[in-house]
Amino acid sequence: MMKVFLTDVIVGAFAIDLNGNVIHKVVAPNDINKLVERVLKIEDDQPTDEFLRLLDELVSNYGKDLEVVVDNENYVKYLSDVGLKAVLEHGSEVLLRFREELPKHFVELGFIKSEGEYYEFLHTISLTITRSKLRRVAQKRDLLAVQAIRAIDDIDKVFNLFASRLREWYSIHFPELDDLVKEHIDYARIVAELGSRDYINEKGLKRLGFSEGKINKIINISGKSMGAELSGHDVEPIQTLANIMLELDRLRDELTSYLSSVMKEVAPNTTELVGPLLGARLLSLAGSLETLAKLPASTIQVLGAEKALFRALRTGGKPPKHGVIFQYPEIHKAPRWQRGKIARSLSTKLAIAIKADYFTGRFIADRLRTDLEERINEIKTLYAKPPVKVEKVKGRKPRRK
Amino acid sequence: MAEVVRVYGHSTYKDVYVVELEDGSTRLATRNLVVGKRVYDEWLFKFNDVEYREWNAYRSKLAAALLKGIKELAITSGSKVLYLGAGSGTTASHVSDIVGLEGRVYAVEFAPRVMRELLSVAESRKNLIPILADARFPQRYRYLVGYSDVIYADVAQPDQASLVLLNAKHFLKEGGYLYLAIKARSIDVTKEPDEVYRREIDTLKKGYFDILDVIHLDPFDKDHAMVYARYVK
Repeated sequence: MMKVFLTDVIVGAFAIDLNGNVIHKVVAPNDINKLVERVLKIEDDQPTDEFLRLLDELVSNYGKDLEVVVDNENYVKYLSDVGLKAVLEHGSEVLLRFREELPKHFVELGFIKSEGEYYEFLHTISLTITRSKLRRVAQKRDLLAVQAIRAIDDIDKVFNLFASRLREWYSIHFPELDDLVKEHIDYARIVAELGSRDYINEKGLKRLGFSEGKINKIINISGKSMGAELSGHDVEPIQTLANIMLELDRLRDELTSYLSSVMKEVAPNTTELVGPLLGARLLSLAGSLETLAKLPASTIQVLGAEKALFRALRTGGKPPKHGVIFQYPEIHKAPRWQRGKIARSLSTKLAIAIKADYFTGRFIADRLRTDLEERINEIKTLYAKPPVKVEKVKGRKPRRK
Repeated sequence: MAEVVRVYGHSTYKDVYVVELEDGSTRLATRNLVVGKRVYDEWLFKFNDVEYREWNAYRSKLAAALLKGIKELAITSGSKVLYLGAGSGTTASHVSDIVGLEGRVYAVEFAPRVMRELLSVAESRKNLIPILADARFPQRYRYLVGYSDVIYADVAQPDQASLVLLNAKHFLKEGGYLYLAIKARSIDVTKEPDEVYRREIDTLKKGYFDILDVIHLDPFDKDHAMVYARYVK
């Protein structure tokens, strides 16, 4: 039985005998785009057209009485499809030697003029391949969702920073308002739309949608405020700051609705289960939908609590019950002793949802959701009361090897 | 920037230079392959019409290993180097300087984010071949990479030693060399760094590597070590 070594390289598929001679080859067209497409296929462990043609021609030329050696396990299947016996061998001498001689073959096949050009050719090809792969990554919508959620988090940070500055600044003029209006956005609206204390009246506040009681309180106090009198010239920059905050708030709304449309597209099940914001945060922590889909439920449960988790692992203390999924209302509204159980249950359902999003794309979230709600109700009835505290044994040794 | 007093070849490491500055301090440097071009925020020195790039030991683990006196630098002009975990190309660019146009650097990096930066470094450096791939599957880039003299690995993966063995099997020539940067914290946070190093080194020994030197990289990098080994399959 003849032994044949098969390999697929940039420019084509080759069959080589034990002595390293090329006994058959199928060469790809000399077009850089076509070559790049070929290479991408090789990397995805798919057979190229040239490789499949080589198999057919081998069988018709030499019959099926061949022992074929390949160095990629995924090719074994295609060999048995055409009825050939396949042997898997990593780093076989024959193939390694053949690869060393590639520059010579490239010249013979007319892809380059001299062996010296080989590396230049390789350099050009590898740059083109890498660029096309990067583009493929850039097209992935999940990365857009990751950036959008990070932008939203940035906005929140800036917004809060500005809010405390605004309160401090405007309090020189009207210190009492700080306690009366707790919501940052309402506070910013008053400053931006009405400005100086003198212009804070019933009509204006009503337009901003405050309740009757609140309006009376604000107007009452504004009449006898202890704050300094400010000229329009001094109020103006404060109003500018407040206006930027309103602008930021609008931008946040826009991003949120954009994010929810992207999330529905890339991860419909996850989004249905925990909403677009939390879903995107999980994506952001994992890096991409693919990596998230490959995480176990136990990891998803503590995503975002890495600091606490690794501290616990190092010292042998208690591991965290939840990471970013704490933001799921059923967890943070639940009493403390139920949270861990709900977090565990949610993360298992999430793990299923994310895998469905990434691998099949089928919509199964409604079933997951009813299951989850059922379990949460069960937890709430079974563990309605806090557990009785067991006296801890003092001086417990940390769990360390 | 302080004035350059003189530049001379390093006494132990071929193709690595020492730049002496006016204030008496010295810097490690490599001869810039692409004159006038910076890769990160390193200094460029000109001396006798030759341009050198400062090699910052706080940014590059290989430079740190050299400053800490690792036994040998097997990467010299003309070497073919398989670089696993090239990142944004800081160290890879210096390796590219050292091997020169006769040499080759196959730079494998898995993260698209840093690959964008590595790509722009590779565009101007003809000897640097960027490969966006997972180093755990060498068969996926075997069509690009030829036999290598040296593997330089800085992958910060829990299974890095076995990953290196797999790549060595595919690409490293007999008698070739390995530099492996081990980041103890990436492998197992619960174990002491020395224990992690020992375990990784044991894996290498089982895979036909002769350990020639192990260097701790502090103070440049905390809990890092550089292993220097020879392949004797």
